[in-house]
Amino acid sequence: MDNRILLRNAEEMQQAITTVADSIISEFGSSELADVVLLGLYKAGVPLARRLAEIIKQRTGIALQCGMLDISMYRDDFGQRSALPLIRETVIPFDVEDAKLILVDDVLSTGRTIRAALDAVTDYGRPDLIRLAVLIDRGGVEYPIRADYIGWQIKCGNDRKIVVEFSEEDGSDGVYEVPWQHRAE
Amino acid sequence: MSAFQWTRKDLLSLYDLEAEEISFILDTAAEFKKVSARQVKKVPALRGKTVVNFFFEPSTRTRVSFELAEQRLSADIVNVTASTSSLTKGETLLDTVRNIEALNVDLLVMRHPVPGAANFVAERVGASVVNAGDGAHSHPTQALLDLFTIREHKGRIKGLKVAIVGDIMHSRVARSNLWGLLKLGAEVTLVGPSTLAPKEFEDVGVKVCHNLEEAICDADVVNMLRIQRERQESGFFPSTGEYARFFGLNSHTARFLKKDALIMHPGPINRDVELSSELADGERSVILEQVTNGLAVRMAVLFLVAGCNKN
Repeated sequence: MDNRILLRNAEEMQQAITTVADSIISEFGSSELADVVLLGLYKAGVPLARRLAEIIKQRTGIALQCGMLDISMYRDDFGQRSALPLIRETVIPFDVEDAKLILVDDVLSTGRTIRAALDAVTDYGRPDLIRLAVLIDRGGVEYPIRADYIGWQIKCGNDRKIVVEFSEEDGSDGVYEVPWQHRAE
Repeated sequence: MSAFQWTRKDLLSLYDLEAEEISFILDTAAEFKKVSARQVKKVPALRGKTVVNFFFEPSTRTRVSFELAEQRLSADIVNVTASTSSLTKGETLLDTVRNIEALNVDLLVMRHPVPGAANFVAERVGASVVNAGDGAHSHPTQALLDLFTIREHKGRIKGLKVAIVGDIMHSRVARSNLWGLLKLGAEVTLVGPSTLAPKEFEDVGVKVCHNLEEAICDADVVNMLRIQRERQESGFFPSTGEYARFFGLNSHTARFLKKDALIMHPGPINRDVELSSELADGERSVILEQVTNGLAVRMAVLFLVAGCNKN
């Protein structure tokens, strides 16, 4: 915990979430927005999707449906890690077929998680379109994947990890930079 | 959210596992059960991995369940049975396994009549080994699917009273269940004639009872084991008729069974010997759910043992 550097405080984080929510609202407009669904990727994408839905509801009165997706069964480094964490519960309370679906994750880094998420979600159906919302784009994608709605772009060295904490799960909101070996989990 | 992480290369016996590891497999299996309920009943996790199903003993349901689990994980599969292997030509088990390993297989699912055969192989190969039954020793995925089914219905294992009835002595299902249940905090009673359920089992912390009605009256779960007719020829009990009268679960012996007790059986059932048709097909029976859950549990086990780096 000593090596953590605070990059954004709770207030700044809330502003960035609002920026992402506003981009979604302006892209879809009120007529289409009701058909949009959010799918948060574990771990931090799940509370982020709920926050986005909350802000969008406050601003437009439209309540978007939210799901949660675990991509463990779709990772491209299967068999290469020394230990496996528990698979978390995938909950998709809407029909993926023909949906306008926004994948939500906290940080876009290599793009590999998103690649896996695209495979995972399309096993549930064929969406009308898929977009990607992230709080932070840290640069350095290794696959041809880009985010559509972005809170911040932050440059961060390869030996560092960006950790986004949510009060619902971690006690308080905040964005931190930590060395890789001290990854909070 | 559990901070525990899976690190084992093999699954050989529940005796080797900590309670936390058993619960971890059950939690993982819950997510795999949902895969089989989807339109696309398949995930790419084991894509590019090769699994050899090595069955030195006849088995239909366990082999089919493993095979389907492997297919739903996108693995490539080879089936080897005793009659098709070079063991019939005098090759040793280790040579057979080494030859298979030289083909770069990633997983061996193994059923063998000799207790400890899977352990023997696991210590000598780099591939992951899953024990699919070794003699009377162990059948871990059967016990896991039983635990999963109980937990799904009762919401817990701890504190439940579980009776295992039948040929305890020769049963790997009984032994595996016993360890799994004890580790997760259930109270286990083994039931059968003294020739098949000897008192010596009490040394490991279970009750042994030779009276079915007495044993099942407060049981939350009754697991009826298959009685093998050849045991009668070996003199373990006088006749199947007599066995059924004293240790078979039927409308007469089940009079004292709790209304919400679960009736389980690992299959195949000898109808009207250890279990009456009426009860096997009745409301309290979860026998077909056990089969469904077996698939989920085997997907979870294969996923976990194949998912870790062996170095």
